[in-house]
Amino acid sequence: MARKNNFLVTPGEPVGVIAAQSIGEPGTQMVLRSFHYAGVASSIATSGLPRLVEIVDTRKKPATPFAYVYLKGKAAKDFETAEQIAKKINEVRVSDIARRVIENFSKGTITIKMDVQRLQANELTARGVGSKIEKLTKTESRANENAILINTHTKNAKQIRTMAVQIGKMTINGIEGAGRAVVQEDKKSGEFFIQTNNSSLSEIMQVEGVDTSRVYTNDIFEMYRIFGVEAARNTISRELSTTLREQGIAVDPRHLDILADAMTSNGAIKNVGRRGLSGEKESIFARAAYEETVKHLINAAAFGERDDMKGVTENVLIGKQIMLGTGTITLAIKKEDLAKISGKEKKK
Amino acid sequence: MQAEIIDHVKFGILSPEQIRRLSVAKLTVPDTYNEDGYPIDGGLLDQRLGVIDPGLICKSCGARAKVCPGHFGHIDLIRPVVHSEFSKIVYLLLQSTCQQCHRILLNEEQVGEVKGKIRTLVETEINENGVGTEGERMDERDTLFKKLRNIKKCPYCEAVQQKVKFESPTYFYFGEIRLKPDEIRDMLTKITNDDLRVIGIDPLTSRPEWLILSALLVPPVNVRPSITLESGERSEDDLTHKLVDIMRINQRLEQNINAGAPQIIIDDLWELLQYNVTTYFNNETPGIPPARHRSGRALKTLAQRLKGKEGRFRYNLSGKRVNYSARTVISVDPYINIDEVGVPFEIASRLTIPFYVTAWNLEKAKELSERKEYPMVMGVTSRDGKRKRITDINREEVIKAIQVGDILERQVANGDIALFNRQPSLHRPSIMMHKVKVLPSRTFRLNYCTTHPYNADFDGDEMNLHIPQTLEAQAEAEYLMSVKDQIFSPRNGEAIITNNEDGITGMYLLTQDDTKLDKEEASYLLSLADVFELPDKSSAGKYSGKDVFSMLLPKGLDFEQKTKRGVVRIKNGKLLEGVLSKATYGTGSKLLAKISVDFGNDVLKDFISRSGRVAYAYSTTHGITVGIREYLITPKIEEARNKILKDTFAKVQELIVQYKNKKLDALIGHTLKESLEMLIIAELDKARISAGEQLVTHTTGDNHAITMVNAGSRGSILNLVQMSMLLGQQATSSGGRIKRGYMTNRVLPHIVPGDISPVAKGFVTSSYYMGFEPIDMYMHAIGSRTSVVYKAMLTAKSGYLQRRLINALQDYQVEKDFTVRDVHGNIVQTSYGGDSLDPTKLDMAEVAAKE
Repeated sequence: MARKNNFLVTPGEPVGVIAAQSIGEPGTQMVLRSFHYAGVASSIATSGLPRLVEIVDTRKKPATPFAYVYLKGKAAKDFETAEQIAKKINEVRVSDIARRVIENFSKGTITIKMDVQRLQANELTARGVGSKIEKLTKTESRANENAILINTHTKNAKQIRTMAVQIGKMTINGIEGAGRAVVQEDKKSGEFFIQTNNSSLSEIMQVEGVDTSRVYTNDIFEMYRIFGVEAARNTISRELSTTLREQGIAVDPRHLDILADAMTSNGAIKNVGRRGLSGEKESIFARAAYEETVKHLINAAAFGERDDMKGVTENVLIGKQIMLGTGTITLAIKKEDLAKISGKEKKK
Repeated sequence: MQAEIIDHVKFGILSPEQIRRLSVAKLTVPDTYNEDGYPIDGGLLDQRLGVIDPGLICKSCGARAKVCPGHFGHIDLIRPVVHSEFSKIVYLLLQSTCQQCHRILLNEEQVGEVKGKIRTLVETEINENGVGTEGERMDERDTLFKKLRNIKKCPYCEAVQQKVKFESPTYFYFGEIRLKPDEIRDMLTKITNDDLRVIGIDPLTSRPEWLILSALLVPPVNVRPSITLESGERSEDDLTHKLVDIMRINQRLEQNINAGAPQIIIDDLWELLQYNVTTYFNNETPGIPPARHRSGRALKTLAQRLKGKEGRFRYNLSGKRVNYSARTVISVDPYINIDEVGVPFEIASRLTIPFYVTAWNLEKAKELSERKEYPMVMGVTSRDGKRKRITDINREEVIKAIQVGDILERQVANGDIALFNRQPSLHRPSIMMHKVKVLPSRTFRLNYCTTHPYNADFDGDEMNLHIPQTLEAQAEAEYLMSVKDQIFSPRNGEAIITNNEDGITGMYLLTQDDTKLDKEEASYLLSLADVFELPDKSSAGKYSGKDVFSMLLPKGLDFEQKTKRGVVRIKNGKLLEGVLSKATYGTGSKLLAKISVDFGNDVLKDFISRSGRVAYAYSTTHGITVGIREYLITPKIEEARNKILKDTFAKVQELIVQYKNKKLDALIGHTLKESLEMLIIAELDKARISAGEQLVTHTTGDNHAITMVNAGSRGSILNLVQMSMLLGQQATSSGGRIKRGYMTNRVLPHIVPGDISPVAKGFVTSSYYMGFEPIDMYMHAIGSRTSVVYKAMLTAKSGYLQRRLINALQDYQVEKDFTVRDVHGNIVQTSYGGDSLDPTKLDMAEVAAKE
C-alpha cells in the first residue's frame, strides 16, 4: 500500500509560493500571550512574529542572542564539572562585582568598592581584579580585601568619568561578549550543557571541555562565520522551526528549507526583501513591481538593460501565461489525428 | 487569442531624433481649447494626438475615440534641460570620464580587466568577512564607479581632474563652475561607444547625451484625458497642466532670447524650465518644492502614476479587474455538499458561461437557445468575433445563424464550475473550485466545513465568485483547485476541511457508548446522509449511535487511533470502540487521511458532507446549547474559588516576605527580583489551573459547555474559569504582569505605591459572572486594549512579511527531475525537501506507512 511514488510532489508545483504562504499565513495567528514560566532559565527570548521578521531580514545580530554549549566526556554528566566550565565562560564585568564606584575628581582617583559575596562567588579577589584593571588601563592601583583605589594620573573630570565607565564595562573573568553562562540539563538526554545569553562562539569553543561539534547559537551570521553557509542555512531553518513551534504552529520543514536554501543559495546570506532576494532578481519588471518602481525603470533605461520576461511577475504584468505548473506544459497532437478530427468536422 | 507574444523587453532612452520621428505633431501653443470649446491646433489637446470625445475623429489615424490608440506629440525645448531622474547617472558619467578628452578614466589594461570581470560577473560581491548583505553588498557596477570617482588624472591625456560636484536634483559643477545642460551634453556626446560598453551601458539604445532633453515627448490625450464636470466646465488632467506650464515657460524663454534679454533673465527662465520639466517627471523629487494645483494639492505627475500600492504597477498590472464575477454576503447551509456553493438565483441569471458550438453539439446548442426561461442563452459570439444579445425579438433569426465555432453565452446553472474566494487570500485554499448550486435568496451559501480554509464566518463576511470561461481554465480549476483536493493543507498535510463546532459536538454525542436511538430517529439521521437502510438492532430494539455512524463509513475501512480519551477503533467500516472527537474527526484528523488514502478524495468529500449533516441533525435533536446555567456559581464552586484565592495570596505573600528578608533563592541565571516575579507568575498560573480542576470536579449534571470542551469543538476550561471563577492575570505586550502606570510606581491610584501583590499588578479575582470591582475593570481594560493594539500591529506586520516572502520565492518550482529551480534555471534544491515528498500528502503518507 505504502508506495512512495503516491506521495511525491507533482513536477511543476510552485513550491516557492506554497512555502511563502505556509510561513506567512499563520503570521496573523501568532499571539502575544506567552508567559515564560519560572524555572526555565532562558532569559525571555524574542519570539513570534518579531523573531520571524528578524530571521527573514537577516539582522546582523539577533535582539536576544544565545548559545548552547554542549560538553565533552565527564562534564556532560557531572554538574560540578559543568559548573566549572561555565565559570570559565561566564562573562564577569567589573560592574557585576562592584558595589559602588566613587570618583574623586580633585585627587584624580577612582575607588571601587567590591561586593565581597559576589567576588567570592566568582572566585576572585579584589587584588586580582585590581591588577587586571591595571594591566588593561595602564594605571596604578592599590587594593585591599574589598576595595580598589585607582590613580588615574589626571585631574580632568571628563577623562576620569570616561575611565570609570570604561572600567565598569571591563571583562575581568570569563569570555568577553559571552554573557551570562548557566548550566542547564537537557531534558531528553539528561546531560548537562551550558547556555549563554550572548554569543562569542569562537572564543567559547577554545574553552577546554567544550564539545565543539555540538555548539549552537541563534546568531545566523556567527554560525556562518565559524561553520560556513551550510551551517547558516541549517540555523535559519532551525530558528524558523523553533519560532513557529513555540507559537504552536505546525509548518512542514520542507517549506522552511526552501526559504533557507533560497536565502543561502549563492554562498552568501541574502535577506528577503528589496535589498536581498527580491532586489537582486534578474527581471527589471519584477523588481519594479515590488518596490522602488521608478529607480529600477530608470536604471534599466540608462544602461539599456533587457528583460527576458520569464518570471511570474513579468508575465502577470503583460497577461501572458506564467512559466510554472501547467504553464510549463504544451499540448501536442499528431498530424494524422488532427486530420481525423478536422476531417470529421468537414463531413458534417 | 494571443496574437503576438512578448518575448523580451529592451529598455532604452529615446534620442531627440527618435522623439521627433515618433511625434505626429510639434506642439507650439501653450493652451488647450479655444473660446468655442474646440481643441487648438498645435495645442496640448491637438486632435492629431488622438481623441477622447465620442463622435470626434482622430486627425492622425481617422479612427474614433476608444479605437484610436492615441499618438505622441512633442515640444521642442528652446534650451536643453537635464532629465532629473537620470541626473545620478549623468553624475557618475561625469566622474568616470576625463574632463579634457572624455575617455574613461581607466588605462587599457584596467579596461581589459573590467571587461573580463563583467563577463564572469557573479551576482554579488562577497566582502572580506565572506558575508554580503544589505548595504555592504554592491553590484560590480557600483564598485567600478566608486573606483573611477577617485582617479585624479586621466591615463590618456594626463589632464588633472577637477572635483565634480552634484547638487540634487539637476546642478553639476566642475570645481566651482556650474555646468549648463548644453555643456554637459557636449561632454557626454564625446564619450565613445566602447568606453560606454566598459561601464555596462548599451550605446545603441542608451547614449548618455540623450539624457539631456532638447525635445520633450508629449503623451497622447488618452493618457491624460480631460473630464467635463456637471457644470459643463472642463477640467484638465495633472499632466496636461504640467505640460502647459512647460510650454509657457518655453515660449517666454524663446521670446526673451529673441528679444536679446540680459543673460540673468534668460538663465532664470532656463532654470524655471528645468524645474517644470523636473516636476513633470517626478513631482516628489527631493530637494525641490512640488508643483501644486490651484487648490494647493500637489500634482500627480509621471513617477507618481507608476509608484506604490496605488500606482500603475501594483494596482493595474499586478492586479487586474475581471468580468464574470460576483460578490455577496455569505451564510451557512449544512445541506449542500462541501464542494458546492449556493449561488443566489439573481446572480446565476446574470453570470454567463460559454457554450462552445461544435459539430457534435450543434443540435444541443440550438435547443438550448430556444429556451425562454432560466437557464437560457443570453448572447452569441459568432466565429468572426461579433457579439449579439439574444432578445425575444431576434431569437429566431439568431438561432438560425448558429453554426460550428460560435460561442453561446449560457446562464450559469447547477454543476457549473466556479471559483470561490475570500480575502485576504493568504494561502492556496483561499480560492477553491466549487460546483454551482443555484438557490433562492440573496446570499452565497457554503458548507460549514469549508469555513476554515477561507477563515470565514457569517457575521457579515462577503465572498467572491468567479466563473472560469475557457475550457482550459475550467479543466485546471476542476483538477487542481477543487475542494476535494484541498482537504489537506499544503502547510503540513493536516486535514483542514473538516466538520467543526456543532458538527463535532454532534458526532461526539452520537458515538457515545450509551447513545441509543429508536427506529424513527435513526432513519431520520441516516436519510440525511442518503442512507436508506438501517444497521442491525442492538439490545432492546434500539439502534446504537456507533452503529448508525458506521453506516456512513466506507465499507472495508480499518482504522485505529489512540487519543487522550481512549482508543478509536474502526474495523471493516464499523466503529467498534471509542468516541469521535476533535482529535479523530476535526482538524488534523488521521481518520480522514486514512479514508483519502484507501478510498480517494471523492469518497472522503462525501463522507465529510454526509457525516456532517448527520452530526448537525443529531446535535439539533439532542439539543446542545449554552446559557447562564452553564456558568452558575454554586456554593461549592464559590468555596473552592475562595480557597484557591486565599491560598494563592498567602503563598505570594510568603514569597514577597522571603524576598524582603533576602531568604529567597534566586533561580539559576536570574537576579533575585526577576526570580520573585517569575515565581509569583508561576503561582498565579497555578491558581488558574487548579481553579479549572476544581470547576470540573464541582460541576454537576449535564453541562453543555463542558461537553463541548470534551468534544474539542468549542471553548476551553480556561474560558469557563474566567466566566464563573476568576479572570486571572491580565497580560501586557511584554509578556509579564502589568507594571507601568503612575510615576509613583503603581498601576492605578487605588494601589499603594510599590505594592507587588497579585491584585496590584493586574490579577483579577472577579469572574465575568460576578462582575468587576473598579480595579478589576481597569486592569481588564488595560489587558484588552493591549491586545487590540497588538493585534492591529501584528496584522500589518505579518501582511508585509507575507508579501515579501511571496515576492522572494514566487519563481521557484519543482522540475521533472525533482530539483527546485527558479524560472531561469538556477538550482535551489537538488531534491525537493531532500526526499521529494509532497507536504500536502504527509498525513496520508503517515497513515499509509503504518501498514
